[in-house]
Amino acid sequence: MAKEYALTVEMPQFDEQAAYNHDRPISSLVRTQLLHLHTAENLCLPEKVRTGININHLLTERQASEYIQKVTALLHRHGKAAKRKAAASTKSKGRKKDSKKASEASGSKASAGKAQKPRLSAKKRKSLK
Amino acid sequence: MPQGLDNLEHVVVLMMENRSFDHMLGGLKKKFPRINGLNGDESNPDASGNTVTVQPNATYQGQLDHDPDHHFPGVDLQIFGGAPAGPGRAANMGGFIKSYATQGAGGNSSHAIMNYFAPEKIPVLTKLATEYAVFNGWFSSIPGPTICNRAFAHYGTSFGNVDMNLFLVTDSDRAKIPTIYERMKQGARSAKLYYFDQPSSTMEIVNLLKDQSFFATYDEFVADCRSGKLPEYSFIEPNYTDHPGPGGGQLLANDQHPDHHVLAGDRFIAGVYNEIRINPYLWRSTALLIVYDEHGGLYDHVVPPPCTPDGFIAAPAATCTGFEFKFDRLGIRVPAVLVSPYIARGTVVPGTEEPRNQRIFEHASIPATVTKKFLQGNDKGTVREQQAETFLDLLGDQMRADNDCVFFKMKG
Repeated sequence: MAKEYALTVEMPQFDEQAAYNHDRPISSLVRTQLLHLHTAENLCLPEKVRTGININHLLTERQASEYIQKVTALLHRHGKAAKRKAAASTKSKGRKKDSKKASEASGSKASAGKAQKPRLSAKKRKSLK
Repeated sequence: MPQGLDNLEHVVVLMMENRSFDHMLGGLKKKFPRINGLNGDESNPDASGNTVTVQPNATYQGQLDHDPDHHFPGVDLQIFGGAPAGPGRAANMGGFIKSYATQGAGGNSSHAIMNYFAPEKIPVLTKLATEYAVFNGWFSSIPGPTICNRAFAHYGTSFGNVDMNLFLVTDSDRAKIPTIYERMKQGARSAKLYYFDQPSSTMEIVNLLKDQSFFATYDEFVADCRSGKLPEYSFIEPNYTDHPGPGGGQLLANDQHPDHHVLAGDRFIAGVYNEIRINPYLWRSTALLIVYDEHGGLYDHVVPPPCTPDGFIAAPAATCTGFEFKFDRLGIRVPAVLVSPYIARGTVVPGTEEPRNQRIFEHASIPATVTKKFLQGNDKGTVREQQAETFLDLLGDQMRADNDCVFFKMKG
């Protein structure tokens, strides 16, 4: 059961249907947001995933919100992918570092991370042929 | 340390759009004389020289369909009444109607800029202002538009910008002046920037480009409140557009930017407040600040005070006034209300009307306060943050009884 509050204030109802107008021309604020997101799209997203939408053709709040949704989602997706890539690269570098440390600790001259074939002298190589 | 501050674990900031103090709260002065609102005789000349006084005739929608000018030169006109830019001129808050007339609001329709809300018309904001703490002296950080003002809430500076252009913070600037979210992260503290939803997104594109992990939606704010996972610092952005909702519904813009419906915003403020209010743990451990980014070109009678320059200079070409701006004057006053059960009912924080006791706040007060509370000092803050008043001292020792704190419910 919902809690009863001693001191309540009622919020007036209003005609939401009449207030709603997604065909309203966008304000300079939303126009600015479009420009900023368009810049972000070009700066951060690979060409093949960009929306290709000409923001100058977006005139209403609905049109703007559709574009804003698309680019925001793309930026998040791309940002997450970039983060994963960076984390994987750090992890791999970390592994290399650990391996290097381990091999240094064990006195091995092999470089860390990637096993290398022992270098043979020219004389030895010749003798193996 | 007062108990309220001792118990404080969360700071939530809700930043709305484009309304001045007098426009939203000026009508409260009649019943609450300590609130520095309107006497009713404040006026501006119109383009024909007629005197137009303030009127409690603001409407929710339809009156400001020409967006009032709030760019740097427009605000300059509003503050100085059209006196040519230059040293020594006096601010008179006399150019609001002239400014609005330049936006296509001709004749008597330009007078609408002087209208304010009768308090009962916006019951949520006015009730919170009188039930908790209202700031008589909270000013926007720059006499200019949204983006640069919001930057002060995130960075404590706008990096010299006075306009709506996208500023891309260089890595070296970023290292010197990290956002409050980065500072919190570096200090092993939690912070989130909640935008309403993806179709509305954020005005903080710069942050969005750098670290998306700081972002979440308003639905996630609600979920975080209910699951006890609210970060230590939360910044909420409202919905900036009317757009279709999930499942075919309609989502009304609730930012209160003209000409969006003001009651939709009032209801949104109630929604944020109620989420904290209904959770006993959050209610006793959270301070909620409701503040507006800038005045949106709407009339206010208080002359913005000077402030400490932050080291940046906007060139004459950027200010469009023929003069450079040294960030040495604040923007026009905006509504600001602080909510906590540890705040005594009817607290009024004095502004410029009480020169001896005045406390001047601006948006740099937000990162300054968060830094002071959660990062034990403001050594990494900007010049403006270091000068800014912080607001958590308003929380006292006594927690008000549950039946003494308001709850909002839908009529009918």
